[in-house]
Amino acid sequence: MIDDAGNLSIDFLVGFTIFMITLIYVATLIPTLFIGLKSNSIDYDAVAYRTGVILAEDPGMPYNPSWETLPNTSDSDILRFGLALSKDTPNILTPEKITRFFCTSEFVYPSDYQTRAVFGDYPYQFNISLQMAGSNVTQSIGDVLPDQDYGYSRRVIKVKEHSNATLDFSNFNVISGQPASNLPLGIYTQNATNQAFSVYFNYSYLLTSGPGYNNLAYQINPLAPSGANGIIGGEGALINLTGLQYLPQNTGGVDTTVNLSSISIYKSQSEAPIGTGQLPFVGPELNSTNPTQFLLYIDGNTTPVTQLPYPVGSNISLFIPPGLLSFMGGGDSSTLLNITMQFNLTDGNGNPQSDWYLNSTQVMPDGAFEYNYTNPNITQPQLVDGVMDVAVW
Amino acid sequence: MVNDLGQLFTIEGVAASMIMLFTTYLVLGATTVYTPGDSHISDMQLEQIGTDALNMMNTPSNCTSTSCVSTLQQIVSETDTNLSAANSTFNMIFLNYVNNRTESMSDNLHYEANITFRDTTDGPNSTTISSYYLASNRNLNGVEHPVRVTEWVIIGPPNFPGIILPPGAHYIAQPRAVLVEVLLWRD
Repeated sequence: MIDDAGNLSIDFLVGFTIFMITLIYVATLIPTLFIGLKSNSIDYDAVAYRTGVILAEDPGMPYNPSWETLPNTSDSDILRFGLALSKDTPNILTPEKITRFFCTSEFVYPSDYQTRAVFGDYPYQFNISLQMAGSNVTQSIGDVLPDQDYGYSRRVIKVKEHSNATLDFSNFNVISGQPASNLPLGIYTQNATNQAFSVYFNYSYLLTSGPGYNNLAYQINPLAPSGANGIIGGEGALINLTGLQYLPQNTGGVDTTVNLSSISIYKSQSEAPIGTGQLPFVGPELNSTNPTQFLLYIDGNTTPVTQLPYPVGSNISLFIPPGLLSFMGGGDSSTLLNITMQFNLTDGNGNPQSDWYLNSTQVMPDGAFEYNYTNPNITQPQLVDGVMDVAVW
Repeated sequence: MVNDLGQLFTIEGVAASMIMLFTTYLVLGATTVYTPGDSHISDMQLEQIGTDALNMMNTPSNCTSTSCVSTLQQIVSETDTNLSAANSTFNMIFLNYVNNRTESMSDNLHYEANITFRDTTDGPNSTTISSYYLASNRNLNGVEHPVRVTEWVIIGPPNFPGIILPPGAHYIAQPRAVLVEVLLWRD
């Protein structure tokens, strides 16, 4: 007898098969439904944010002596990169830290940066770049940015440019063989064969009398950050003397040859000002005819002068590098420092010849050009705009 | 008895199941799961840029012993005397800050800025709060999803609206705190 019992079994088999196929298909489909919930992109953004905060708002570790002042041989002592001037000045970076951070010949991508700036167990790839406003030059470290699927953080920053002094003598109408009274700060008041021009740093004044309620961002700070090994780190100072050829150098019709003979550093911890009959400065701490502690450029040459005496024509640029002021101060905020350039005046045959030339010994009250916050010849520290991008993937 | 009832039901079942399955797949596949975490991230990034920009605008580029005034302080002070100049200055500088990137292509952010302050036009003890338009580069029309960033700006006396010394008043004009509020969004 024929009945439909077999058909029912086939129906069941077909239905069950379809059910199983559907079940398997759905089971494999479900994970893809949550693809938008995967944590990678969120994690990338969070890591980029964290890295941006560390770089823009943190001065790094160690802080004193600051990490950027450590010698290359002590890279293992650098625990964390941070480009901020201090923890109290977020988004204000220092050029020394930026230069050291982007030094690819010293630090290896990605390992050195992962352990000091990006952090985390996952081996993130990243790209960190910085550009100053109005510049086409971008400093960067890291891989080429992917087209998409990366986390980013952008920080608007300012970079502190250090102060510099420029004394321009070209606008003064001086007569050969005669003193002049209208030169800046009473400079040029001696008729002698040896002349001295001094720059005077009063650390206590500089550290307590800065503009903006003594804000670190605008402070000329000769001590901070203290450098390791004395000579690197800290803030520098640049002193430009221009138009020197306009100073009379033709006494009695005989041309005077000017030689920069030495650079000396005098130091004191007393408050006795020059001109009071007391001797505030002892030393010299340094009396150098091979001034390698400085960067000394004469008459526009791009190669620093390393051996004195050296003939001077039109201009002198004396760069007191970061760390020298800090080193000479030895951490003492009451330091008074005097950096003196000695000039030797001769005739064409090398015989001493007196003339009126650059001389600061009669400048009141300190017998020196004081590097301070009020002198109009000094360009105070400036903050320059920039932007920093951090991308992590 | 043999008939085709079962066969018909099976084919319909298969067809229906395939249709339902395909529909389900289409519906679920077309749905974007936008988590709160995702929106938080993009909002946070905008807030970060906006806060940085206002903060840097309120940080003077240089200070002397006699003057230490930020660009934002100058702009807010100028709103009292020359609103259009303040408007254009703020517009140019703020857009530069928020749109500049290290890449060659700049960002495309838009903003609307207002300032709020205690209005002492009625007298030094007035508690009236006034608020007015500072600048914008596009009108907010309700479709955008802006974030709000603010910066307190201290304006030195006497250059700000509302400071009018009534006759016989014996108070000294003091620095004023003015709130700069910016709504910031991306296209």
